Amino acid sequence: MQPKGLGQRYSNPYVIGVLLGLVLLFSFYTMGRGLGSSSTFARITAAGVELMAPDHVQQHPYLSKYLQTERPILMEWLVFLTLGAGLGGLFSAFIANRIQGEVTRGPHIAPYPRLWLALGGGILSGFAARLARGCTSGQALTGASELAVGSWVFMFSIFAGAYLTAYFFRKEWS
Amino acid sequence: MGPLYKLGWFDFGYSLQMALLIGFLFGFVLERAGFGNARKLVAIFYLRDFAVLKVMFTAIVVCMMGLLYFSVLGWIHMGGVYILPTYIWPQIVGGLILGVGFVMGGYCPTTSVVATVSGKLDGLIFLIGMMLGSFIFAELFPVLEGFYRAGAMGPVRLQDVLGINSGMIALLVAVMAVVIYWLVEKVEQHFGDPETLPRGSRPIKRTAAAVLIALGLILAIINPDTQPGMTKASLSQFEKQEEEVQKAAPKEMGSESTTFRIVEDEGC
Repeated sequence: MQPKGLGQRYSNPYVIGVLLGLVLLFSFYTMGRGLGSSSTFARITAAGVELMAPDHVQQHPYLSKYLQTERPILMEWLVFLTLGAGLGGLFSAFIANRIQGEVTRGPHIAPYPRLWLALGGGILSGFAARLARGCTSGQALTGASELAVGSWVFMFSIFAGAYLTAYFFRKEWS
Repeated sequence: MGPLYKLGWFDFGYSLQMALLIGFLFGFVLERAGFGNARKLVAIFYLRDFAVLKVMFTAIVVCMMGLLYFSVLGWIHMGGVYILPTYIWPQIVGGLILGVGFVMGGYCPTTSVVATVSGKLDGLIFLIGMMLGSFIFAELFPVLEGFYRAGAMGPVRLQDVLGINSGMIALLVAVMAVVIYWLVEKVEQHFGDPETLPRGSRPIKRTAAAVLIALGLILAIINPDTQPGMTKASLSQFEKQEEEVQKAAPKEMGSESTTFRIVEDEGC
């Protein structure tokens, strides 16, 4: 899985799970809300549309809800959280000597097809996260810790969707 | 007593700095686990490496226990915590599509951020795809709106639908976690590469499993739902306290400067 010779070995997943749970608990304790990131990209989209066509956002049946506050669209908690996640990931990758420009893929697929699939996967994920009101972190992780019903159902649906279609993408990864 | 922000411990500007700090820790631990690497992430769907499930489930169990114990001890008031509302049909369909996106693209939203900063071009392309996907959803929203609101159940929690107290649920989740860990480790040993799988000592794992189940058992016995601070009366009392804090807060930056408005679709 991990290319030999590059960077350090990854940490034990159970230890990471405990740490992630404590970070999430800290977020609930201080802010009364959990983690998340997908809506950051919806907000960036909304901000981009606003830049090009301000009226379009104001009258938009969906995007206009990001204008409910008087603040700019991007002056929001989750946007800063995602920014922080980027910095934290960068720091961790740097100290573990894991920063390397590459296209992650299995041995039997060329870079270009892999990038098209990454784009397709991104489009599906962006769409799905808006439909379900959150992604793996904002909906599944955060909601399941609070024992929210929909979040548990959502989490099992993610695994179902991925396992049911994994066969069709096997050449991408192995 | 938390959540601190809801009780006026700090203002909106400070909350954004808090977001940077929490996000930093979030991104840091994800990268530590190897979640900036699509091959490590999708290995779960080919039964080779269940790190995704182990990290996610452990985090959920730890945070769930933490929230319940904090409420019992009176350190946090769940009345001040945003409970995600359930919309059952869009969540099922959204989950299925997100799952397909995960195995096709190799990431979920946050892990693609971590991948991008560690130099993966496919992570960056995935991010761009997410923005396109959000845009497509927004443009199709008039058509999707009915389905988007289908199966609305409000902020319901498992204890509301299953009819057992949250302590029992904590115990069930703890037992389920231990069984799942045991099961996936068996599967991993069969399909995975022993070179890259995490090493771990059996006594430590057994002790951790016992502690987890003991913590669940204690919650099941004391029944957190009957504790002061978890009852309906005390929830509304908290809301009053919260309102007073909001009223007393300085207003010079506009009426919303000290409050969140969580837009329903943000997940948390």
